[in-house]
Amino acid sequence: MTAPPISLKGLTKRYGSFTAVDDVSLDVAEGSICGLLGPNGAGKTTTFKCLLGFAKPSSGSIAIEGAPVTPATFESLAYVPERAVLYDNLTIADHLTICRRSYKNYDDARARELLALFDLDPRKYTQKLSKGMRTAVALTLAFSMRPRVLILDEPSSGLDPVHQRNVLDLMIDAAANGASVLFSSHQVGQVERAADSVAIMKKGKLIVNSVIDDLKTGEKIIEAVFTGSIPDLNGLADDPNVLRIEQVGSTLRAVTREESDAIAQRIFALHPKSIRTIDLNLEEIFMNAVSGDQV
Amino acid sequence: MPAIFTVDPRSGVPLYLQLIEQIKRAIALGTVAPGEQLPTVKALALELTVNPNTVARVYRELERDGVIDTSPGRGSFVRTDGAGIEARRAVADVARAAFEGAVREAKSLGLSREETQELMARTIARWYETENDR
Repeated sequence: MTAPPISLKGLTKRYGSFTAVDDVSLDVAEGSICGLLGPNGAGKTTTFKCLLGFAKPSSGSIAIEGAPVTPATFESLAYVPERAVLYDNLTIADHLTICRRSYKNYDDARARELLALFDLDPRKYTQKLSKGMRTAVALTLAFSMRPRVLILDEPSSGLDPVHQRNVLDLMIDAAANGASVLFSSHQVGQVERAADSVAIMKKGKLIVNSVIDDLKTGEKIIEAVFTGSIPDLNGLADDPNVLRIEQVGSTLRAVTREESDAIAQRIFALHPKSIRTIDLNLEEIFMNAVSGDQV
Repeated sequence: MPAIFTVDPRSGVPLYLQLIEQIKRAIALGTVAPGEQLPTVKALALELTVNPNTVARVYRELERDGVIDTSPGRGSFVRTDGAGIEARRAVADVARAAFEGAVREAKSLGLSREETQELMARTIARWYETENDR
């Protein structure tokens, strides 16, 4: 077993008394895409900064392809920040030239394809570009160097829906060729489509880290309606697979973490008038995770 | 492959289960024939804009269920022995679950056994008659 290409162990970053990232451990395997979700200020960007060596962790360790981050790491790692960092007085073509000289895996034919994909004119100065187009330039540069590790901070912000879909296709293509991708997004639907695993951060802590399909298999709502009032629940709330219980009038809703069938059986034994299982999509699972007080 | 698959990533049903069901359905309906080659993991992932690991999981489960054979370097093929039987069994499962859901719904909405039976008989008559008329 080789080391995961992206690996964080117990990463903690404090600024004075404020803990921006709190004991985060996360691996992204070869050929895998991990979507990082979380409200603003959850610590996503700080995690990326530590991962790339731009900020020094207070404690914990980071490894890219099994080694600490050094300038040589960036031969095979591409990073696209939320706000693309470009040279304003240079054209897009000039940026490609710099990449050609700097990265040995740079693929010029691929770069031309990507310029066409994002409708970019290489003769344009980057200063004149909109935020979305600047992001498109940064993505073109990143994917043209055929990286084995990709770290993308909100890679589709400012892009129109067609180009947003292109970004997902690029990540899928890279992963199918063995690259590891970690990307943050505010659009749960993008993570749900392109990623195989999801990490959810809240107030610096990693509160969910799972394969998306496994999460959907486990997390359900069992809704039961009783005749008259709801009977004694027989310790149902203490079941480790029950995340939360809501009771409104004669309706009972139990959110399950796993084993929803077994929980449904337990509720069925209380003789409800009706019972049904509701599937939850990632958006609902995300909202449950970040709105609940329990971690 | 002439079959067209569509998945809904926003559904609460895991993507890999959606895709397994659709491939089995296509085999049961004959839009994908025994012996036919399935697209590569990468090609199908890109076509549907879904994660390649998810598609790889689908192919692993289909192989485990005896529906396809995957050989390294050659690709994945629908089995000529028994894939059709397994696919028919799988679509019967889908139909049974839908049926069960409908009856459970009728009961929980307070319909009597007789009312539900009559509803079912009328529904069956409508759909199966239409088919015989063709």
